[in-house]
Amino acid sequence: METRLARLARKGDQRAFAEIVDLYKDKLFHLAYRMTNNRQEAEDVVQETFLRVYKNLDRYDENQKFSTWIYRIATNLCIDRLRKRRAVYSLDAESSEHEGLDGYAMLPSDDRTPESELLLSETQRLIHEAIETLPVKYKSVMVLRYLQDLSLQEISEVLEMPVTTVKTRVHRGREFLRKKLEHRI
Amino acid sequence: MLVERLSPLKKGMADMKCNNAVAYIHDYLDGELSREQVKELRSHLTECAACQGHLEALERTDALVRAMPAASAPAHMTESIMKSLPKSRRPAAWTSWVRRHPAASAAAMFLVVMLSSFVTMWNQDQELSIAGPDLEHVVVEGNKVIVPAGQTFSGDLTVSNGVAQVLGDVDGNLTVIDGSVNLASTAHIAGKVQTIDRAVDWMWYKVSSWFGKLAYGS
Repeated sequence: METRLARLARKGDQRAFAEIVDLYKDKLFHLAYRMTNNRQEAEDVVQETFLRVYKNLDRYDENQKFSTWIYRIATNLCIDRLRKRRAVYSLDAESSEHEGLDGYAMLPSDDRTPESELLLSETQRLIHEAIETLPVKYKSVMVLRYLQDLSLQEISEVLEMPVTTVKTRVHRGREFLRKKLEHRI
Repeated sequence: MLVERLSPLKKGMADMKCNNAVAYIHDYLDGELSREQVKELRSHLTECAACQGHLEALERTDALVRAMPAASAPAHMTESIMKSLPKSRRPAAWTSWVRRHPAASAAAMFLVVMLSSFVTMWNQDQELSIAGPDLEHVVVEGNKVIVPAGQTFSGDLTVSNGVAQVLGDVDGNLTVIDGSVNLASTAHIAGKVQTIDRAVDWMWYKVSSWFGKLAYGS
């Protein structure tokens, strides 16, 4: 169905593109929010993803699932942002004091917490924090696996890496989260 | 140990090592363990409390992470995205068409160049000009080209940017480009009389005469 919508949008059908946006905006926002842990950045990533999709519709290869393509664009944008953030923080001498965590673990403050998240339990806060501290290469795999419910095969297509690599990262990511959560929950 | 390395499956499940078991546990959680391997793992877990605990901890982690409520995009998102899109996708469509049809693009480009050169030539060509094989038999007065009474012009006569006044005979076609024709009652024209006023007609005339030349070699 997305392939059909993409074909229509390619011909300049704005309504078809709006349908694509409606289908994916929440999934992509969830992905970007968990990757960046910042609502504003997540919004920017979603916006940028759809802009790129729109501009590159002609290059979309229909042999590939549309979801794989759009997840790839969004994930790469998130990874780029996290890398840039790390580069900025590593210049900051103070960041080394944070017990070996990557610089980006010090989250830029996000004041725009919506009401629903004020109700977050302590458990959920701990889970967010655990995901937040995952190194980027594990974080992208874990977010795709657990929050987007993609299969290992699909993740390997999104991230363009062998399934065996994805599998190893899921295993390590899972152990990482377990260690973070085990004695606190 | 040696025996185990040679055939861990045959030797029996009780001897599975803990690090193997952990790999199995992860594959199990990924849903990638065969029925046979599940049996093997189960028998190890019944004897190894540490691995059993490990599996349970990982299962809890999985469940917690999966149960995380989904964040949804702000309500205005679709609208602001649709507004941020470039107004028209046409330029991109056009370039991709060019990429996909190189031959047609080259032909279109050739036509554009031809057309523009024709138009320029037509615009520059504002002066009276006469073409034909038998020019001694015509008289030019100002912008008038006269075939005098009693004279016979043998061949095709072409007049550009002027008036063709025919009193005598023309033994061929008379063509006037951007001008007019005055035929006297005494005039006699053996071929066709043609008046061309616009660039497009003129171009067509040029192209057909060019093809005519190609075809007949004249």
